[in-house]
Parts: sequence; structure tokens; C-alpha cells
Amino acid sequence: MTIIATQALTKTYGGGVTALADLTVDVDAGVIGLVGANGAGKSTFIKIMLGLIAPSSGEVRVFGLDPVAQTDQVRARVGYMPENDCLPPDVSASEFVTHLGRLSGLPKTAARERASEALRHVGLYEERYRQIGGYSTGMKQRVKLAQALVHDPDLLLLDEPTNGLDPAGRDAMLTLVHRIGNEFGISVVVCSHLLGEVERICDSLVAIEGGRLLRADRISAMTTASDVLAVEVSEGTDELAVALAARGLPVSHDGRLLLVPLDSEDAYDTVLQAVAELDLPLHRLDQRRHRVAELFTTKETADV
Amino acid sequence: MTATSLTAPTKGTTVSVVELQNVSRWYGNVVAVNDISMSLQPGVTGLLGPNGAGKTTVLHMMAGFLSPSRGSVTIDGSPTWRNPGIYRHLGLVAEREAVHGFLTAREFVTACAKMQKLPDPAAAAARALAMVEMTDAQDRRIETFSKGMRQRTRVAGALVHEPRVLLLDEPFNGMDPRQRMHMMQLLHTLGEQGHTILFSSHILEEVEQLSGLVQVIVAGRLAASGDYRRIRRLMTNRPHVFAVQSSDDRRLAVALIAEKSVSGVEIETTGLTVRASDYGSFTRALPRIALGEGIRLRKLLPSDESLESVFSYLLEA
Amino acid sequence: MSEAGVIHDIGYQRYDGPRLGRGAVLAALYQHGLRASFGLGRPAKSKIFPWMVAGIVLLVAVIDAGVRARTGIVLFDYYQFDDTLTWLIIFFVAIIAPELVSRDMRSGVLPLYFSRPVRAADYVGAKAAALVTAVWLLLGVPQLIMFLSAAFTTKTGMRGVWHEAGNLIPGWGYSLLWAVIFASLSLLIASLTGKRAFAAGGIVAVFLMSTPVVGVLNVLPSTTAHNLSGLVSPMTLVNGIGIWLRGKVDMGLDIGQLGPVYGIEAFCLVSACLLLLLARYRKVASL
Repeated sequence: MTIIATQALTKTYGGGVTALADLTVDVDAGVIGLVGANGAGKSTFIKIMLGLIAPSSGEVRVFGLDPVAQTDQVRARVGYMPENDCLPPDVSASEFVTHLGRLSGLPKTAARERASEALRHVGLYEERYRQIGGYSTGMKQRVKLAQALVHDPDLLLLDEPTNGLDPAGRDAMLTLVHRIGNEFGISVVVCSHLLGEVERICDSLVAIEGGRLLRADRISAMTTASDVLAVEVSEGTDELAVALAARGLPVSHDGRLLLVPLDSEDAYDTVLQAVAELDLPLHRLDQRRHRVAELFTTKETADV
Repeated sequence: MTATSLTAPTKGTTVSVVELQNVSRWYGNVVAVNDISMSLQPGVTGLLGPNGAGKTTVLHMMAGFLSPSRGSVTIDGSPTWRNPGIYRHLGLVAEREAVHGFLTAREFVTACAKMQKLPDPAAAAARALAMVEMTDAQDRRIETFSKGMRQRTRVAGALVHEPRVLLLDEPFNGMDPRQRMHMMQLLHTLGEQGHTILFSSHILEEVEQLSGLVQVIVAGRLAASGDYRRIRRLMTNRPHVFAVQSSDDRRLAVALIAEKSVSGVEIETTGLTVRASDYGSFTRALPRIALGEGIRLRKLLPSDESLESVFSYLLEA
Repeated sequence: MSEAGVIHDIGYQRYDGPRLGRGAVLAALYQHGLRASFGLGRPAKSKIFPWMVAGIVLLVAVIDAGVRARTGIVLFDYYQFDDTLTWLIIFFVAIIAPELVSRDMRSGVLPLYFSRPVRAADYVGAKAAALVTAVWLLLGVPQLIMFLSAAFTTKTGMRGVWHEAGNLIPGWGYSLLWAVIFASLSLLIASLTGKRAFAAGGIVAVFLMSTPVVGVLNVLPSTTAHNLSGLVSPMTLVNGIGIWLRGKVDMGLDIGQLGPVYGIEAFCLVSACLLLLLARYRKVASL
């Protein structure tokens, strides 16, 4: 099911700045990563989806609705989690999320109840009655997520949800986003700079570069297996390289890893035999996969 | 990438060692740093820790902005506190720093050079800007720069006097993948040339790629130092976890359970999860066992050796 | 109760209930603003100032009511009550307008508002309505107390009460005039900055600096200048309208035949403030 569809979407600002140029992409339901350089057009794209600015030309549809013409309907179905600080310090989380629920059109009691549930789902318990000013970064990110969920959207737009979080916090947030995308039945667009994260939780990816579409594909298509086998031993790497070459397997080095071509399944056995014969500690044996990061290595520019 | 290299430390001179000895720093009842001793060698080291663990405090003490409440912070033996002379050999890129937006990159770096009283500020600035690949954009105003370019400009400002030590607080914050890759390459090159570089970060996958050397701070204490893979091996109380796929998982599982170094095997649809209480024995035994049973081993992947896992284990300790 | 165990489903629930329209959203914003004006729903610190002001105005009214009840002397009528408390009201809006508007800008919460079915017009309208209501309550409730005292001590029965009510209603109207002009002006100034202290200072400055100009114009030898002097300062503007509408002269302000000018200026001032506010938030909304 296509949830976002654009056709030749273009946005130019006065002064000749082109934020988006001729962007044509169909986004299916699921967890979608939106990646691209700073200033590549991601925030412009989000603002257009929320109906905050109008495109210069081209079309965009969110759930089949036009954000410019049917703004309120689109916003009722979309939840937005901004990247920057956007929380007032002197209000409690529960009150704040309730207030925003009402601003989304929920009746007072429903807003209160859904706020309470949203805060529970994001993992804020008794902290919710304390003022937001005293929260840690992780808690603040959760409040931002809760307010995006309170009105039961069908699509969440998360802008750098793990910003400022330490590894444990990042892990918790990613797990939460994954849960939302898979268990709650809500589609999620995650803007992120961290390709490792994107690979981990997203099903598909939209990469924007200089306002244009760089690539839009499923993650599985971008992380297909290559025909290279990676082998790592904790010691005796050089001996192993010699032994493999002697058995007819050309070897190349990549840091601690040895790479051999995987022309046939026999390669697995050859490697294993060589390792066992030398009595080396086998640390890793893995068919190499492509990585999303490969999208970005081709261009060299100082204007980065 | 052809980078103009800064002068690598000449042979015979002491490479810069930043040393903390029994350093503590407290603010009233809050102990920000608790009895930390560490020695930074040339190369790139990552400074890790949860938010509020004391990383910025340590960096600021190294940069001479804070004095230790106890202990000593020295660079090549000279204390960093109240010692403006160290700034000749030290560059700091702090986390939040306002740079005057109306200056061009060249003006800013030249100003830094002048503040360092360099004999030829313009040339030094040009070298530093070339180092960070900002030569093409150097005459544009900083306020027109992207975040990555701004960060690179600040790094140039910190490098202009060719310090032996470079400290960076969260340098990759807000950078997109390309900008990060460029910065990582820059730091890697500098590290190879013999500079002593310490950078703090939350993004472990970057630290992994850039250097295996880490200093982990948890709640003000130094939890671990060194190569994170070695650190993992030292955690003998935690069985190493491996993901295994083979041509006959169940038979392999049976054979593995018989092995002394294996403390547990789980069978899932995606393969086996094996817990090895003795890393050394298990890694040698596995190929033997697989061959002996006539099973083809297709995948062996350590699941908890990433910096992320090591880090979370250190936090739990 | 069955003996089999049950695990209740407390997973994420979708919402199928009613979604209210723009009116309800406006009402929610308005309520929130009104409550925030008096510090309700916020920490105790923010209640001190508004309730202190409320206390003072009530005290003044009570004193007037008491004196009137005891001795029948009218200390001041409804209009004079408003005029006397001018500076207190200025301080009130100087503190509260930034609370309503600057705080939101500072905390960066506006993207969360404007990504919802909230338009710039809704935001501005609700905040303005809330502040106008707050100021009007601050003046109107004490006026009501004065009325009650007069009504209960009247010596002419129901006719006296009606007569008094006939005074109260225009008095409330006068309070409303104060409220509208002060609220729109102070909200506009407050919307220019996210720092509450600056906004408060700015508001007070605008009111403060306009007063001497009135004085200067009054000293000039031209009668027209005298008549027009009141246009320069918001306080004298309101005075002027009051004088025009009631046909009486108070506080030494002489407007001659130029009453309608005051009326027009007030209308233009309020419209301009609101339109500028709207323009400002329209720009902010798309950021």
C-alpha cells in the first residue's frame, strides 16, 4: 500500500535555492528510512508532507490526500517528532501530551486517556507527572514520541529520533520505533544520519541528494549477499592466507579479515579445512553483504 | 584523498602523551570524575560513556579549562592547568562553540593562527584549510556553511598551529554520512601520522570504524581502556555469544553441547546461538567438530563483540 | 468469574472516537491561554504575580464597596476605577503576554502546534481572546463587586438597581476597551522575542515612552495638538474614547471634537496589531 506518493515534486525558495528537484517516489507502508546530507531536502520534504509549505511544482499525496488542499485531514493522520528541542520546561509530560491531544481534535477525556496510554507505550511511568525541565535527553525524546502518537496517526514522521541519546538510550528508542512500525501497525518515516540504525530497523529506504532522489529501494535489496566470503581468525592470519592460496583460493586482506571469492559452496569447506589443519581459532566466517553506506562512497566533494 | 600532511613529529622528539594520574573532580557533593588514571598514546582513541558520565569534564581538564580537584593532568609531563604554554601543543574542538558567522573560513582560521602567534599565519591557515579540504570554500562566510563544513572549519582552527594533541568533543554530532566519513578519514590520517587524538562520541559504530582503542567512563570512573576486542576477551565471566549457521544445525548442536567450552546452545529457525565459556578453546574446536561430523559451516558471527555489546556489559558491571 | 487465567490485551489501541473540528481546537487553545494567564496548570511561581494583581484590584473594589455601603460616598465610578488602575494593568499584560507568547517561542513548541490542525489565525485568535478575557476579568469582577455593593445599599429599590446596572454595563464596555487595546499591543510586542524579560521590558517601554510625548503635545500652543495628544499613548487613547462616548471630561484630557478620530485610531491600532501578529505566525508556522 502506497502511503506517500510524489510526482516531479519541486520546491525552490526565493534567491534561487532549490530544496527539492523533480522528486518522484512511491513510499510503501512499513518503516522507511529517509537519508541524505544536511540541507539535501529532507526537512523540506517533511514540511511539504505536513502541509506547512506548498510545493513550487509537482504533486504530493499522503494517504491519497493533498497536504496543501486537505491539510487538516492529512495532519490528523500524521504524527511529527521534530529534531530540535520543542518541549516547555515547566509543564508535566502528562499535561503537555494531553494538551496536544486536544489540539489534534480529541475530546478532553479521550485526550487524557490516550495521553496516558501513549506515555505508557513509550516507557514513561511515574516520571510523567514531573516537569519536563528535569528530564534526561532520553526521556524528552520519549515525550516527543508520545505526543506524535497521542492522536493515533497512521504515519509517524520522526526526525533524528536518536539525537543526543547515549548507546543505551539509542538502543531503547530504536527498539521502540521498530515495535511501533511492526506491532502497532503504524507506518514510520525515520530521518537519520546513522546508516547502521537505518539498516537495523527500516524495511525500505529513500535517499535524497541535492534535492533529488538518489535511491529508493527496500533495504533487503540493498543488503544482498555478495559473492565474497569473509574469514577472520584471532591469530595466524598470514599463515591462513598462505594456506588458502595454496589450496587455490585467491585471498585479499581487509583489515583483520581475509576475503575469498565464493565461486562455489566448496569454498566454505576449503576454508574450514585450512583453519582446522592449522589449528587456528576461527572467529568469523560470513558471506559479505552489501551495506547501505555504499550508496554514499561514490561521490567525492569538498562541498560536503 | 590527497591531504597536505601536517609535520609528523620528528624522530627523536617525545611523542605527546597525555596523562591523567588519580584525577578526581568534584563540584560540592557531585563527583564528576572519580579517581581516573589514563595515558593517551599517539593514535586515535575514543572516549565513551553514557550522558553525564564525565567525558566533557575529562576533556576540559585535559584542555586546561578545569583544574582537577585531586591528581594531576599532564601533557608530556607539564600540567595543563594554568599553563598557557600547552596551547602550543594542544587543539580543542568543543561540543558547542559559537563561531562568528560573518567571518569567512579563511579569516577565522587565520585569526586562530594569529592568536597562536604563529610566524606566518596566512600560510598556516592555508595549510590547515587544505588539510580539512576546505580550500575551495574558504572565502565564503561561515554562516553559509553546512554543519559539516562548520565543523571542519573549527577543526582547521584547532589544527592551524600543528598541535601534537587534538581533543574533540562529539565531533560527529549532526553530520550526515558523507561528512562523517570525511572527518573520520581526516582523523585517521592524523592518527597515523603520530598525533594524539581523543574524541568523545555516542555513536559506537563510528568509534568502531575509526579506532579500536577506547576509554570508557561510567559515572565518573574509568571502566575500561584499550582495544575493545581485547576488553571483550577479558570479560571471562561472560560467555561469548556466536551465531552459527550450518548444513545441519541440529546435529552440530548436539556435537557442540558435548564440547567442554560450550555452555549453551539455542536452536532457532535462523540458526544456532552458541554460548562459549572459553573463547580460545571454542574457536579452535568448532572447525574440528564441524569437519569431524561432516557438516558444512556456512556462518560464524560473534554476536556480542561489537563495541555496543562491550559497552553495555561495562555499564552493567 | 471463570477459573481460567486471562491475559488482558493492553497493547496499543487505535482510536475510533470522535475527532472534533477547528472550533474545539480553538476552544482548547483559548482555555489553555486563559488558565496560563492566571498561572493555573503551572508551577506555583507563576501564580504569584497574576493573583497578586487580582488581589490588589479586588481590594480596591472592596474598599470602594465598603466605603459606599457605610457612608454612601462614591470614591470612584466604574470608569475612574479602570483609569486609576492603568499602570497595574500595564504591568499585568507586560508579564502575562510574554507568558502566553514568548514562552512558546523560546521552548520551540510551535512546530508541534502547527503540525496539527492549528492555523496561525487560530493560534493568534485564541491567545488574543485569552488575554483580553483575562484583563477584562481583572477589571470586570471588581466592577461587579462595586455594583453589588451599590445594588444592595441602594435606597431606591429595584429602580436603583437597574440604574446601577445601567452604569455597570458601559463600565464593563470600558474595561473591554482597555482589554482589547492593551492585549493586542502587548501580544504583538511579546511575539517579537522569545525572552520573557525582554518582552516585558519592551511592553513597559512602549507604554512608558509614549506618555511624555502626550505631555509635549499638550504644551504646544495649538488646540489641535492638545486634542490629538491623546492619540500617541495607548492609555490616553482609551481615555479619549471613553470621553468621546460618554461626553464627559476626565483626567484633564481635552479632545475637542476629535472623538471619532480616537475611535478610528483604536480600531486601526487593534487591527494592525492582530494582522501583524497573524503575519508573524504565518511565517513562523512554515519554518
